[in-house]
Amino acid sequence: MMPTLTTSTDRGEARLPRLEQIYFYLTAGCNLACRHCWLAPKFDPDGSRYPTLPVALFERAIAEALPLGLTGVKLTGGEPLLHPRIEELLAIVGERDLALTLESNGLLCTPRLAAAIAQIPKRAVAISIDGVDAATHDGVRGVAGSFDRAVQAVRDLVAADTPPQIIMSIMRYNLDQVDAMVRLAEKLGASSVKFNLVQPAARGQALYDTERAVSVANMIALGRRVATELAPATRLRLDFDLPPAFRPLSAVARGDGRGICNITAIIGVLPTGHYALCGIGEHIPELVFGQIEADPLARVWRDNEVLRTLRAGLPDRLEGVCADCLMRHRCLGSCVAQNFYEHKNLFAPFWFCERACKDGIFPQSRLAGRRAQAADSAAGAGEAKS
Amino acid sequence: MKLGDRPLANPDVVLREEYDDWAVLFDPETANAVGINPVGVFIWRLLDGRNSVEQIAARVADGFDEVPGSAPEEVRAFVERLAAGGFVGFAATGATP
Ligand code: SF4
Ligand code: SF4
Repeated sequence: MMPTLTTSTDRGEARLPRLEQIYFYLTAGCNLACRHCWLAPKFDPDGSRYPTLPVALFERAIAEALPLGLTGVKLTGGEPLLHPRIEELLAIVGERDLALTLESNGLLCTPRLAAAIAQIPKRAVAISIDGVDAATHDGVRGVAGSFDRAVQAVRDLVAADTPPQIIMSIMRYNLDQVDAMVRLAEKLGASSVKFNLVQPAARGQALYDTERAVSVANMIALGRRVATELAPATRLRLDFDLPPAFRPLSAVARGDGRGICNITAIIGVLPTGHYALCGIGEHIPELVFGQIEADPLARVWRDNEVLRTLRAGLPDRLEGVCADCLMRHRCLGSCVAQNFYEHKNLFAPFWFCERACKDGIFPQSRLAGRRAQAADSAAGAGEAKS
Repeated sequence: MKLGDRPLANPDVVLREEYDDWAVLFDPETANAVGINPVGVFIWRLLDGRNSVEQIAARVADGFDEVPGSAPEEVRAFVERLAAGGFVGFAATGATP
């Protein structure tokens, strides 16, 4: 290993940024009822009860985004495979040579759909599995049989040359299954495992209110254990989705930005055909920017007040601990939508880091400004351990 | 940087070590920060204005396994990038005790 540097000021954008990715929230309903969902879509077992994005609008948004720099789309929901014309949508993505990211609960993944996905040269699929047995997973996801079908989805995707990532949201229910999930992912032939932090929004908030979410301190400790013990012992890539201040520098230097959303380069499309910051626009009208049929995307992207405010203000106007964080150019406040949801302020700090700071467990080595001076002088010898 | 120059750590810069042996160099004057790996930390501790880049590279070769033949160039590039960020200056050859 030779010396490596990673700088804290390698992001930031003054000009109109490229619109690199559209996040399509294809369905307003979902065929599961997960305890931790931060969007809380309505239950819809077959995709017939609530709006799904019309194919024509999907195509039009893509056509208008290509000249703005579009290179990829994320298909999510609700549940994207619940969309009645999902195969047509996949074909459009392939024809436009776009990179596909697909996040699914796997229930409706068939060998035929896996083959359709495999037609897309640049593709990344993630299947959510929240426990290593049916009792845990089905208990979290609210529908019996969902574990078996999610596992089968992974198998079908592997067989179709698309080994998926497994996403596990960490809660009290499955906290003791983290190691076993890595083993399950290895056995199934998955490409990687991502451990997600539950966001305190919608149903996720109820988990925190009833103390069934995992505390900030325990998530930090678990993240370190995954990085230092589990990751070196598996061939799989493990990604623990905490804000970058809590990720090892080695991961940051590897360019491991997975899970960090570059909010200045994406736009969301809701099932109704509205443009929005992302899916949370379903709950926050202020973060809805217009409608595909009525508003040219180029104009929305250039002129929308929220987008302009974010571009001009990130990361310098971030508040609270984010204002003093050395990772802010890379992180941009982690989840602007979540921050706005909680505080009605686009530049509010991210809840997890604020709580860690309040509890005295924010890594001091990642701070600048007054807080850092306090930390460095407290360390006496001029060195601070995180 | 000339061959034989002896790099000297900016005394204002703070080395903050982390749990995985990587570290952050932080300059409180400018708020510039940079992350460095364990070899970088080893090198940082040798930037005392007495060691030349060649001597530091030799110490790296002694202290670590599987050091590539390109180590002297990599050490020099590393120190030059630190210098460009204001983390390091140079004591000219012959000016050190
Ligand atoms: S403090 Fe803010 S900028 Fe820093 S890692 Fe946390 S969310 Fe990101
Ligand atoms: S702002 Fe938050 S919810 Fe929106 S895309 Fe980024 S991470 Fe996802």
